[in-house]
Amino acid sequence: MPKKLRDLFRWLAALPLTVVITIQTIAAAPATAETVARYGISMADIPLTTGQPDRGAGAYQFTGHTLYDPLIAWEANVGDRPGKLVPGLATEWKPDAKDPNRWVFTLRKGVKFHDGSTFNADAVIWNLAKVLDDKSPQFDPKQAAQVRPRIPSVAGYRKIDAFTVEITTKEPNSLFPYELPWFLISSPAQFEAIGRDWDKVASHPSGTGPFKLDKLVPRERAELVRNPDYWDPQRRPQTDRIILLPIPDALTRTNALLTGQVDIIEAPAPDTVPQLEKSGFRIVKNVTPHVWPYHFSLLPGSPWQDIRVRKAANLAIDRSAIVALLNGLATPAKGQLDPSSPWFGKPSFDIRYDPDEARRLMKEAGYSKDKPLKAKIIIAQGGTGQMLSLPMNEFVQQSLAEIGIDIDFEVVELENLYLHWRAGANAEMNKDKGITAINLAYVTADPFYALVRFMDSHYVAPNGVNWGWYKDDAVDAILAKNKTTFDTRRQDENLARIHEYMVNNALMLWVVHDVNPHALSPRVKGFVQAQHWFQDLTTIRVE
Amino acid sequence: MLGYLLKRLTYTVPITLAVTVVCFLLVHIAPGDPLNAVAPADAPAEVVEALKAAYGFDRPLPVQYAKWLGRAVAGDLGRSVATGRPVAGEVLSAVGNTLLLAVVGGAAGFLGGTLLGCLAGYFHKTRIDRVASAISVVGVSVPHYWLGLLLTIIFSARLNWLPAMGAGPGGSGNWTWDLAHARHLVLPAITLSVIPMGIITRTVRALVAEVLSQEFVQALRAKGLRDGQVFTHVAKNVAPTALAVMGVQLGYLIGGSILVETVFAWPGTGFLLNIAIFQRDLPLLQGAILVLCLVFVGLNLLVDLIQPFIDPRMRRN
Amino acid sequence: MSVTALATSSAAPPVAATARSRGYWSGVGRRILRDPLTMGCAGVLLLIAAAAVLAPWILPVDPYKTSMLHRLAPMGSAGYLLGADELGRDMAARLIHGGRLSLMLGVLPVVFAFVIGGSIGILAGFAGGWLNMVLMRSLDVFYAFPSVLLAVAISGALGSGMSNSIIALTVVFVPQISRVAESVTTQVRSLDYVEAARMSGASAFTIIRAHVLGNVMGPIFVYATGLVSVSLILGSGLSFLGLGVKPPEPEWGLMLTTLRSAIYVNPAVAALPGAMIFVTSMCFNLMADGIRSAMDTKA
Repeated sequence: MPKKLRDLFRWLAALPLTVVITIQTIAAAPATAETVARYGISMADIPLTTGQPDRGAGAYQFTGHTLYDPLIAWEANVGDRPGKLVPGLATEWKPDAKDPNRWVFTLRKGVKFHDGSTFNADAVIWNLAKVLDDKSPQFDPKQAAQVRPRIPSVAGYRKIDAFTVEITTKEPNSLFPYELPWFLISSPAQFEAIGRDWDKVASHPSGTGPFKLDKLVPRERAELVRNPDYWDPQRRPQTDRIILLPIPDALTRTNALLTGQVDIIEAPAPDTVPQLEKSGFRIVKNVTPHVWPYHFSLLPGSPWQDIRVRKAANLAIDRSAIVALLNGLATPAKGQLDPSSPWFGKPSFDIRYDPDEARRLMKEAGYSKDKPLKAKIIIAQGGTGQMLSLPMNEFVQQSLAEIGIDIDFEVVELENLYLHWRAGANAEMNKDKGITAINLAYVTADPFYALVRFMDSHYVAPNGVNWGWYKDDAVDAILAKNKTTFDTRRQDENLARIHEYMVNNALMLWVVHDVNPHALSPRVKGFVQAQHWFQDLTTIRVE
Repeated sequence: MLGYLLKRLTYTVPITLAVTVVCFLLVHIAPGDPLNAVAPADAPAEVVEALKAAYGFDRPLPVQYAKWLGRAVAGDLGRSVATGRPVAGEVLSAVGNTLLLAVVGGAAGFLGGTLLGCLAGYFHKTRIDRVASAISVVGVSVPHYWLGLLLTIIFSARLNWLPAMGAGPGGSGNWTWDLAHARHLVLPAITLSVIPMGIITRTVRALVAEVLSQEFVQALRAKGLRDGQVFTHVAKNVAPTALAVMGVQLGYLIGGSILVETVFAWPGTGFLLNIAIFQRDLPLLQGAILVLCLVFVGLNLLVDLIQPFIDPRMRRN
Repeated sequence: MSVTALATSSAAPPVAATARSRGYWSGVGRRILRDPLTMGCAGVLLLIAAAAVLAPWILPVDPYKTSMLHRLAPMGSAGYLLGADELGRDMAARLIHGGRLSLMLGVLPVVFAFVIGGSIGILAGFAGGWLNMVLMRSLDVFYAFPSVLLAVAISGALGSGMSNSIIALTVVFVPQISRVAESVTTQVRSLDYVEAARMSGASAFTIIRAHVLGNVMGPIFVYATGLVSVSLILGSGLSFLGLGVKPPEPEWGLMLTTLRSAIYVNPAVAALPGAMIFVTSMCFNLMADGIRSAMDTKA
C-alpha cells in the first residue's frame, strides 16, 4: 500500500512537468513559409473597414491606408524628416488658373480594386456621393460622419472624362489638398456585388491599397494579407500577413509582447519601458504632430488676458521632468509645433524652464505666491492622446503654484470635454463654471489642424474651435492671403509667420509632444516610423 | 412533483418579463448622449440628428421598449451604435467564450472545493481541517482581479510559461480543444475558480462533518463498516447540495466574469460589457445584460428542476 | 464572480427557535471573547479603521502631494516608509487615507441594505399575505441578475463616483438581506408566544419591538457581517474597472489600478493596495465566521 502511494505521488509530480514540456513543444511550432507580424493596437476594436475608419487619426494606419488609397496621399514611409503630400490615386492636381475654386484631378491609370474592378473617375464620383450625398444609394451615414468634418471645403464634384474629375471648393483654399489624405476610395463594384449592404462590406471590403482584408473577427482581430499587384512598387508590403489585435489596456498589451503573443505594439505603458528594453525589445519613437497644451481663453474676465501671465505660465514648467515622468516617451514643446516642422518659423519668445523670469513676469502683472492668481481649467480623466492626463495635470498645477498661479481642475470624461471644447470659451457651460482654459491634446498634422482652426477669428464657436476667441487682424490678413497662395514654399512661409504669432502671443501653455512610441520584438527587423499619426504598415518586416 | 415543476416553470415567465424591463430602463437612466460614441468630436448637428433617427433614439421610452422587446423576442437585439454590427451575433459569440471560461473555471473550483471540503470535513477540527479551511477563506477573500494580475506577471511575463491574454492563437472564432488553445484558459480559469472553490469547500466541509457526526453513521462505523461504504453514504448526502450550490455559482461566474475577462482580455461578455459601458453603446449594453440575465435565469431554473431528481429528500416532499 | 453567494451559502441564519434572552447574548459575547482568531481579526480591523479615521494625526503627510523626484520610490526610502506611488505620493499616507474610502465602500452599502432590506423583510414577514407576496416577488426580480453584473450595470448607468458605487452595491444587497429577514421573521411570527401576544391584542408595533426585533436582528446581523467583505471586494472592483471612485482620491481598488503598470519597476509597492483589500476582507470574513459560530448554540 505505501509503495503504491509513493508511485502515485511520483506520477502526480511528473504530470505538471509533462504538461510544461508539451506546452513548450507546442509553443515552438515550426514556422510556416508565410511571414506574419502580429500587431497589438491600442484601440478597443478594429476600426471600420468599409472605407473611412472611425476611432480617430490613429486608426488610418490600420484599416485606412492599408486597404485603401486616397487621391492625394501622405508620405508615411520616411522617418528622418516630416513627410509631405504625394500622389495617390491622383497623379496630378491643380487649381484652375481662372477660378481658384475649381480643382482638377488627373487620375492614375491601370489601378484595380481588390475585387478586380477598375479604378476610374466614376469610382471617385461614386465615393464622394457615398459620404456627401445622402440621396445616393451608396450613402453611408457612418462613413459620412467620420469624413465630412475632415473635408469641409468640398462644395461640388463632377466627372470630366474617364480619368479626370473636378472638385469645387466653397471658397478659394490653397490648403485643400491637405484634406484629401483623409478621403479614401472604396470599390463600387464590391458594394453592388455584396448586395448594397455596408455592414456586409465590412467583412469583405475592397480597395486599391497595399493590403487586402483576409479575415475580420470584430473586437478581436483583423488579418491583412499582401496585395501582390499593388500599383506602387515602393509600397509593396514586406510582410505577407499582418494580424491586428485590439488590446486597449496598456499593461495587457505590454504583457502580450513580453510573452511573444504579439510582435509589435503601440503605446507601451511608460513604466514598462525599462523592463521591455531589459528583455531585448526595441522602443521606437519619433517626432509626432501632437501637442499637449492648455488652451487659454482671451475673453474679458479671463485671467489669461494678460500676456505676461500667459508667458509666465509657459516659463514655469520643467518639461524635462514631465518627459521623465513619461519614461522618455515625449519631447518638450517649444510651441504648437516641433522645431523641425516647416511651419515652425523663428518665434522670438523662447519657451523654456525659467522660474525666475516667470516670477518676475507675474510680479509685474501684480501676482505672487502670497497673492496668487486663481484660474479654473477643464481637463479629461484620460483618453486617447491625453497621455497620463491626471499625473501631468497635477505636475503642471504644482509648477504653476510655484510662480503664483493657483489652478483648480474641473475633471470630466473625454467625450464631455469635447462638448466644452466645441462650445467655445464664451459658452455658458464654460463661463458659468469659471473655466478659462481647456486641456485637450491636439493633432497638428496639417496646417489647418495645427494653426488655422485656432488662429483664424472666423473659427470662433459655433463655426469652429478657436476656443479662446483669439482675434488678430494681421493674422487674419495673412490667413486670407494664404488661401490663394498655391505655391507650397510661399504657403510654408505664411504658415511659419502664423506660428510665430501664436508662440509670441503665448496663445496656449504648451507642455509636451507625444512621440507615438512603439515596442518591437527582436523578430521585427524593419519598421519605419513616420513623423505623423499616419504610419505605413508596408514597412514592417519580420524574420 | 409535477406540480412543483409546473409552478417553478410558470414563475419564470413574469420574472423574465420584469428582467427585460429592468435591462431596458437601466441603460436609459444613464446620463449623456448615446451617440457620442459614433459621431466624431466635431460632427455637425445635422449628422448627429440623422444618426439619432436612424437608431430610433428620438422616440418616447415606452415605444422604444415595446419595439426593442418585440425585436428581442424575434432574436434581433438591434445594432451596436459603435460598430453597426448586429448585437445578437456579437453577444452570442461572446457568451460562448464566457460559458467556456465559466464552465472550466467552475469545474476547477468544484473539484478543488470538493476535495478540500471532504478533507476538512473528514478530518474535522484537526490540522488538516484548519489548513483546508484557511485556503477556502483565502479563496473568498482575495480580490481575484488582483490575483489574476499577479498570476500574469509571474507565469506570463516573468516565466513565460503561459499566454497573458486572449482566447487562443487564432482568436475565439475557431476554438479547438488542443493544448495551444487550452494554454490560454489556464490562468483565467484558475483566477475565476478561487471563489467557487472557497465556497464549495465551506459547504462540503460542513455537510461532511454533519453527516459523519450523525448517530447512525457513528453506529455503523462502530459496527465495523468500512470507510469506503461510509464515504458512499456521505457522498449520497452531500452531492445534491454541493451540486445545487455549484449550479448557482456557475450562474454567478457567467454573470460576473467581467473583472477576470478584463484582466485577461478574454473576448467574453464581460469584456464586451466593459467596452459597451465606456463607449456608451446602449444597444450593446442592453443586449449583453439581457442575454446574461436570461442565461442566469435559465440556469437557476435548470438547477431547481434537476434538484428533485437527484435529491431524494426533496422527492419525498 | 460569485462573492455574494458566499454569504448566501454559508450564512444560513441560525433559526430563532428560542427567545434570545439577555443571558444568550452575554453567552455569545463570552464565546467571541474567548475565540483568539475572531478577536485577532477584530483587532486588525480596529487598527485599520482607527488609522483611517485618525489618519491626519497618525501620519501628517499629504496623501495628494506629488513629487516627480520620488516616483515609485522603494519601500523604506528616506521619508517614504512604504515607498511612493507613480506620482511620488506617499504610499503609507495613501494606504491609511485609502482605508477611509475603502472601508466606507465595504461598510456603508451593507449598513444601508441592513436598514432598508431589514425593514422590508421584517414588514413582509410580519404582515404575511399579499403584502409579503408583492414585496418579496418584486425583489425576486433582482435575484435574476448575477450580483456583479447588477453592480456593474448600475454603476455603468449612473456613471463613476463613490456615491454611485454605494448606491449600486446597496441595490445588490437589499434583496438578499430582505430575504433573510423575511424568512426569520416568518419563523418567529409562528412561535407560540408571539402568537399568544397577538391573540392577546398587542399592537403590531409592540410585538415587533418586543419579540420580533430581538430574535431577528441577530441572524440578519450575522448575514450582513458576511457581506462586508463582498462589498469591499466588489466596491474596489468597480474602482478597478474605472466605475468607482475617481482619481486622485486614494482608494485601494483605484490605487491597485493606477499602480498596475508599475509592477515591473516596483512590484512590492504595486502589490500593496491589493494586499490591503485582501487582508481587510479576510479579517471581515473570519470575524463573520467567528460571530456566526458564537451565535450558533448547537456548536
